[in-house]
Amino acid sequence: MRLLLVEDEQRLAENIAEALRETGLAVDHAADGRTGSHLAEQGVYDAIVLDLMLPEKSGQRVLKDLRQNKLHTPVLILTAQEGKESVIELLNGGADDYLAKPFDLGELIARVKALIRRGKGVSTAIFTVSDVELNTIQQTVVRRGHSIDLSPTEYRILEYLAHRPRAIVSKQELLEHLYDFEWEHHSNVIEAHVSNLRRKLNIPGTEILIETLRHRGYRLREETQL
Amino acid sequence: MNRSFSITRRLVLTVLLLELLAAVGLVTAVTVHERNVQLKAFDANLRGNVDALMGAVQDAEDEGDNVMLDLRGVRLPPHAIYRVEDEHGHLLGSAGTLPQLPPASESIQHIRVAGRSYRFFTYRGERIIDPGKNGGIRHDITILYGIPDGHVWHEVLEAVRFFAIATAVLLGITAVLMAWLVRRWLHPIHELAFEAGRISSLEWRFDAPASARRISELRPLATALEAALTRLELAFEQQKRFTNDAAHELKTDLAIVKSSLQLLSMKKRTPEEYSRGLALSLDDFTRLQQSSPFAALRRITVSVNAASDIRVPLDNRDAVLLCSNILVNALQHSPEDATVHLDLSCDGARIRLTVRDHGEGIRDEDHKFLFEPFYRGDPSRSRKSGGTGLGLSICKAVCNRAGGSIEIMNHPEGGALVTVVLPVSESLRRQEISASLKA
Repeated sequence: MRLLLVEDEQRLAENIAEALRETGLAVDHAADGRTGSHLAEQGVYDAIVLDLMLPEKSGQRVLKDLRQNKLHTPVLILTAQEGKESVIELLNGGADDYLAKPFDLGELIARVKALIRRGKGVSTAIFTVSDVELNTIQQTVVRRGHSIDLSPTEYRILEYLAHRPRAIVSKQELLEHLYDFEWEHHSNVIEAHVSNLRRKLNIPGTEILIETLRHRGYRLREETQL
Repeated sequence: MNRSFSITRRLVLTVLLLELLAAVGLVTAVTVHERNVQLKAFDANLRGNVDALMGAVQDAEDEGDNVMLDLRGVRLPPHAIYRVEDEHGHLLGSAGTLPQLPPASESIQHIRVAGRSYRFFTYRGERIIDPGKNGGIRHDITILYGIPDGHVWHEVLEAVRFFAIATAVLLGITAVLMAWLVRRWLHPIHELAFEAGRISSLEWRFDAPASARRISELRPLATALEAALTRLELAFEQQKRFTNDAAHELKTDLAIVKSSLQLLSMKKRTPEEYSRGLALSLDDFTRLQQSSPFAALRRITVSVNAASDIRVPLDNRDAVLLCSNILVNALQHSPEDATVHLDLSCDGARIRLTVRDHGEGIRDEDHKFLFEPFYRGDPSRSRKSGGTGLGLSICKAVCNRAGGSIEIMNHPEGGALVTVVLPVSESLRRQEISASLKA
């Protein structure tokens, strides 16, 4: 999952980005409203954390422009401003959640994850796709009672696919949603990771979980789902 | 002392009291006048009766040519007392008990007879009998005549009573009318009070009602109220901005420190990671005094004209803080490619440090708040360029502690001019000006 953090306070942004990366998210950081707006409008983010007091372009405007461009990325607002009116105004203006500074980092992470889940139509942090159980908090995977040890990237690929069962996910999409700008990447990296992932998930007596559709991408099968 | 009273009631009572005094005076005057009129009529009546008595003195037709009193056809009022005498003291006729009268009085007297008030008239006149014969015979007749004057007073009282009742009725009507009118005229005060009562910290708008503006006594009050409220609202807004800004600063700083520590505790880390994280957290704590080096970045020239080898009673840290804050402030408010002039002079007892920039200067409304903590003249606030808003308040604290002063004003040719005056001492050197310039 890839997240955009728009926050002008350098140290705060560093801390948030690091914490979010530690939970397995790819994080891009924009230090002002204009950059934030540009990045957000690429439409590759699964969630946006947006500060309000930004140089060049206010958080309110960033949000407004984003919604005007028909982008439905979940947005969590960070604010140090007082007053319920502004919160109501923000939520009505298209924000999905808000946190007042000084916030709890753990709460921020939990809220961001909840927003991402909701954006993908999943309601709990632990969920099952086909015969695979994903725990997005512990980042563990269990298939038919067997715990499967995955590398962080493999886990993230699986998590992304699990959030979009039966949909065809292209390599490009995976790249866009799994890596932030700080990552060196190219598309055959994905192929290698997917092949490793498929091998690890291959427990005797089970069907292949991840299908490869030539030139189109990957698909998570879900036929055993009741 | 602080008993409240009503202007309406006071006004009405005062006017009524005055009216009452006037009425009493009038009634008294009317009484006196009425009494005089009545007495005059009474006395005329008295004289008329005496004339009738005189007319009743007739020739007795005897050889002594005496006179007698013939009362036929003469109607006298009841209770009349009289005595008619001739010049020899012969009583011609009398009625009632005549009181002792002072002799030779020929006027009207007021005497009480048997518990009743009488008015007596003494008349001396002559009666000539048979005037045809040798000029007739003269008789000097003395008539004492009195009738009770009680009804005069009764008449007077009657007239006065009518007058008094009429006055009282008029007084009552004016009282009611006046109370109503005064209440009506004072209504604008109530409207003003109602309007003023609606003011709250949320709703500062105050429009004095038109009724209050029309009254010349109320107009200054309404205007003063409006002006005071406008000033108050402004001050309140400013205060609110300060607190909001201060809260925003503190919350952001707190968020940084908190997130640094929470990030550290998110999972087990190596001792190296912990120590690096703690160092970062410590940095975050001390960032309040941080000032960024950007004179070079914005191509601003700093021209220094400093007298050397002066000592002031500041410790090294304070001196650096003071100079760097003022300088950074000047740099922040300078346009790119501008020059900041720094001038340090000494007159033996005091040093004078002036820093001048070529920025937009200080707005009047900001001037008195510049040294307040967290105040920022510029509301579009990027923390990166704006600092924390504490700089100048720290400078002021430093200067005050050293027994000096700091002030900011607009340079006549544009830009702001900061002047620091400090007493000279022997303790420390100010080398740090050049040090902070490099920053």
